[in-house]
Amino acid sequence: MTDMTRRDVIKAQAVIAAATAIGLPIPAEAQNLVTEADLTQLNWNKAPCRFCGTGCSIMVATKGGRVVATHGDSKSEVNRGLNCVKGYFLSKIMYGEDRLTTPLLRKKDGQYHKDGTFEPVSWDEAFDIMAEKWKKTLAEKGPKGIGMFGSGQWTIYEGYAAVKLMKAGFLSNNIDPNARHCMASAVAGFMRTFGIDEPMGCYDDFEAADAFVLWGSNMAEMHPILWTRVTDRRFAHPHVKVAVLSTFTHRSFDLADIPVIFKPQSDLAILNYIANYIIQNGAVNEAFLKEHVNFKRGATDIGYGLRPEDPREVNAANAKDPTVSEPMSFEEFAAFVSEYTVEKAEEISGVPAEQLEALAKLYADPNVKVMSLWTMGFNQHTRGVWANNLVYNIHLLTGKISTPGNSPFSLTGQPSACGTAREVGTFSHRLPADMVVTNPDHRAHTEELWKLPKGILPDWLGSHAVKQNRDLKDGKINCYWVQVTNNMQAGPNMMQEGLPGYRNPDNFIVVSDAYPTVTCEAADLVLPSAMWVEKEGGYGNAERRTQLWHQLVNAPGEARSDLWQLVEFSKRFTTDEVWPAEMLAANPEYKGKTLFEVLFANGQVDRFGPADLAEGFANPESEALGFYLQKGLFEEYASFGRGHGHDLAPFDTYHEVRGLRWPVVNGEETRWRFNAEHDPYVKNGKPFHFYGNKDGRANIFALPYEPPAESPDAEYPFWLSTGRVLEHWHSGSMTQRVPELYQAVPDALCYMHPDDAEALNLRRGSEVRVISRRGEIRVRVETRGRNKPPKGLVFVPWFDARRLINKVTLDATDPISKQADFKKCAIRIEAV
Amino acid sequence: MLKRFAFAVALLAATAAMAENQLGGLRPDTPLAEESEAPQIPAVVNSDVRQVRNYPDQPPIIPHKIDNYQIDLNVNKCLSCHSRTAVEASQAPMISVTHFMDRDGQTLGTVSPRRYFCTQCHVVQHDAEPPVANGFLDVDSVLDHIIGAGEEGQ
Amino acid sequence: MFRLLKRVWHILVHPAAHLSLGFLTVGGFVMGVIFWGGFNTALEVTNTEAFCTSCHEMRDNVYEELKPTIHYTNRSGVRATCPDCHVPHQWTHKIARKMQASKEVWGKIFGTINTREKFLDKRLELAQHEWARLEANDSLECRNCHSMESMDITRQSKRAAEAHERFLFTGEKTCINCHKGIAHQLPDMHGQAMFGPTSDAPEQMSENVEASGSAEVKAYLKTVTE
Repeated sequence: MTDMTRRDVIKAQAVIAAATAIGLPIPAEAQNLVTEADLTQLNWNKAPCRFCGTGCSIMVATKGGRVVATHGDSKSEVNRGLNCVKGYFLSKIMYGEDRLTTPLLRKKDGQYHKDGTFEPVSWDEAFDIMAEKWKKTLAEKGPKGIGMFGSGQWTIYEGYAAVKLMKAGFLSNNIDPNARHCMASAVAGFMRTFGIDEPMGCYDDFEAADAFVLWGSNMAEMHPILWTRVTDRRFAHPHVKVAVLSTFTHRSFDLADIPVIFKPQSDLAILNYIANYIIQNGAVNEAFLKEHVNFKRGATDIGYGLRPEDPREVNAANAKDPTVSEPMSFEEFAAFVSEYTVEKAEEISGVPAEQLEALAKLYADPNVKVMSLWTMGFNQHTRGVWANNLVYNIHLLTGKISTPGNSPFSLTGQPSACGTAREVGTFSHRLPADMVVTNPDHRAHTEELWKLPKGILPDWLGSHAVKQNRDLKDGKINCYWVQVTNNMQAGPNMMQEGLPGYRNPDNFIVVSDAYPTVTCEAADLVLPSAMWVEKEGGYGNAERRTQLWHQLVNAPGEARSDLWQLVEFSKRFTTDEVWPAEMLAANPEYKGKTLFEVLFANGQVDRFGPADLAEGFANPESEALGFYLQKGLFEEYASFGRGHGHDLAPFDTYHEVRGLRWPVVNGEETRWRFNAEHDPYVKNGKPFHFYGNKDGRANIFALPYEPPAESPDAEYPFWLSTGRVLEHWHSGSMTQRVPELYQAVPDALCYMHPDDAEALNLRRGSEVRVISRRGEIRVRVETRGRNKPPKGLVFVPWFDARRLINKVTLDATDPISKQADFKKCAIRIEAV
Repeated sequence: MLKRFAFAVALLAATAAMAENQLGGLRPDTPLAEESEAPQIPAVVNSDVRQVRNYPDQPPIIPHKIDNYQIDLNVNKCLSCHSRTAVEASQAPMISVTHFMDRDGQTLGTVSPRRYFCTQCHVVQHDAEPPVANGFLDVDSVLDHIIGAGEEGQ
Repeated sequence: MFRLLKRVWHILVHPAAHLSLGFLTVGGFVMGVIFWGGFNTALEVTNTEAFCTSCHEMRDNVYEELKPTIHYTNRSGVRATCPDCHVPHQWTHKIARKMQASKEVWGKIFGTINTREKFLDKRLELAQHEWARLEANDSLECRNCHSMESMDITRQSKRAAEAHERFLFTGEKTCINCHKGIAHQLPDMHGQAMFGPTSDAPEQMSENVEASGSAEVKAYLKTVTE
């Protein structure tokens, strides 16, 4: 590629950007205070925050077609007027000056070429080449040859449309969200223990609990507004205790009454020790166990989700079937955990016995209401599902569950990890409302609600996030569409899996984003997306709260919502091209129809006319289609959950309220599920009913401590943990473009213990290589920052596009959840 | 062996195609497969000069170093200058009245514990040039435009 | 036994018959140098960072906390070690402090702060001792390095310069009044003054009242605080 053509791209982008900008003059010095009401009044509307899974409600002020201010919504129960620093700067996230405003295609000599240079193209040309590639691959390889990678940042409508397009349109289950990296272990934990996804409690637990235990969660930075609720409770009620567990000291330790630093992976031993302590000290709630709990022994030695030829998989006894379990008695369970004495737990974890006992006592004391909280420390763990199961064990043994303040609570990292990725079912194995593709009844029910021919939905397990990258590298998936996520930066083992997969000459990679991320850089076609309040949307937060918002401003240039992109793309395929001939022969009424007609203009999604659109808000997707697309999608989707424990309120309600926590039955939200006093689905006449499982009981699992996939050795003597910082959200593609947030934390640093630095003749500010068996990065050493690792461990955050720490990480996953472990791999440090 | 060689060739071809970044953004210069020098850790801006806020709702940034400031169960170092009673001695800006309000908007006798950890909203700034400019316009600029456009119309 | 003691006593009380005065003088001097040197060397050994941090109580608590601070690493690489701040530099004061430190030896032997929890429980008391000592000697150990005369406030931030002009140069406050917790974590400061003299925070309000308030208010405050 020549410099000339590169410059042309930049120039073309600049011209388009200039043409589409609203052309505001440079502000003159304000002469005097403007006081006229029509000028000074701002148009305030609500929207959920764009960032984490807390789900704060934001008030957004617009003027002259621009967002001019944002603040925390005082009417929202979640945040009551507060925001974290990222939330306070939401006003600026859409105005980074390198917004993508036109599709860009790699071309050589006027034609698409894998090694070509990005050139601006029209949406038509973009969809033409996409459709051509998709049709070719579908014809040659069938539905397994295509894939889609989505997001817990997709709006509910977008995720729902994507699942329909992939699973019902292209008949491919190769669709997975980035929530696989984030929440999959939590999901599998819920399904194994309770048979139904998502927390039983809610954020009201923060004001009711007597103790908070953070199991691998740095809430002070990652869920700052929930942390304000913990802080409020802890300081205002001095009897309240906070325990913080982590493999390194971080900001949440500032509030810790019981600060616990444990060796990586040893949380499993601590959890089993607490269960043992509860049993040994007579703290078991026997009545609760008798009525509501089963005991099961889970399979062990289940491998590490690596490529099947890896010796760690070959040598694992149960790598092929990690989910199996068999019933056991309470006595057998007690015997199982009895080996986790305080001495053994201390030995495995390195945590002093007194601390372990103090922690166990919080759970064992019947008068202490305990809220356990976790995020990536549990979930990004090669035994993450086990960790989730084991914490539920503790709550179930003591009956401390589903009542105000007694709450094992899995927090989420993305704004709609629950609302979209999980509830809509955008995982490779799922369908809406907790249904799965492998269950014939679930498929039949879905086909009925989607008005599809019987038996059309694919029954095979699609490729999950990590496997998609492997499939791309191996040439098994050749057409791949990525939306609202930056997986080149976020996915593990970028150098061995991610990058070779995207750049495999056999593959055509499409990336939809608002900004040119490193994933766009690795793509062949880049589609410009509308973001946040540039489109109508809906998110669901960690406490089952669904929140909708209206479009408040227009997207720049040719940028379009991901929803529009999905729906438009569906118009380019007919059933004859993508459905089996025998299926069409048996169901001739579907013949010759476009996927758009079958999926979206199906008499359901298109049943709300333009009259239903809210006044005063633009909705270009619906205006162009002639029907209220989002409302139609929402109501069709809601039909899955209503009457099945996932009831959503009517669409329009959500535009009035600050979200509602499902199931919403008779207009009432549900705060504590499985509890007869609060949950209308409890129908067994008892105080609790774990109705997700057919027998109405929750499962306690006997699961041991097992070592991690890779541990430090002589050659790679350090542990590496990756994670986030308060000021940046995920890969930083939004927050790094807000100058105040960029300047707050400009670069990723390698946090390490000063003694480790000294031993390597390094000091704060030294440039080092962080090297693993898979890749390396260059980064500066920080010995006195907010994170204080113990000796032998370093922490590097992943928000920095210039310091791609996932070149170094290992793509080991939990064998059950398929979620990668970003918290543990072995590295060495070398001075540059 | 042959397979490994073929893979090496493919990888080489793949990385050759990535020899140059085209889209700019936050990683403007270094190809994805390569590594560039990590910039030195920049200094914290310690000018003590208050900055204009983008909008009244924005928490002010901290215009000074806060290295090793202790904010924990024991003590809040920030409040030793910014609390209501400290500002005469410190001449620092007092925390705003919102910081005394509880979840229900009631004003408490002291700082609301939910506001205790200052750095959740207030951050320092480093002396580092953002790689991408931001085109946010504050409301005064937008009003100027609206007023200007109105006058032109007349 | 008794005879042996009697003989020793005899030697001690009678002038030496076989040794010259010169030998005794020189020998006494040499021995004095050796003993004194040994004592002083031993004293200096106890006056090092390595000695202080040879006890885990110091190494795992206060020394670990020192590491991320400006007194451990900084621009010019001058490190303030434990004795620089905690042991007077002048000899007589040093000896006095060292004698006090014998109590710390007891503390070590009896394990007064041999766990993190015990240390945290005791930390306020220990910190108050140091604050009181530094207040009493006008922050002498701070001033061993940071003298007012050597301070170029144009090299300081505006905020620091103003504070120093207003409080330090006027003698209104001494270093420790404002810089508590500069090198170690602070203990629970509820009821403690972050600024100004230690341990009189509750009275501060009363003092203000004393200046302006009525007897009635004073009486009321007394009942409240009691």
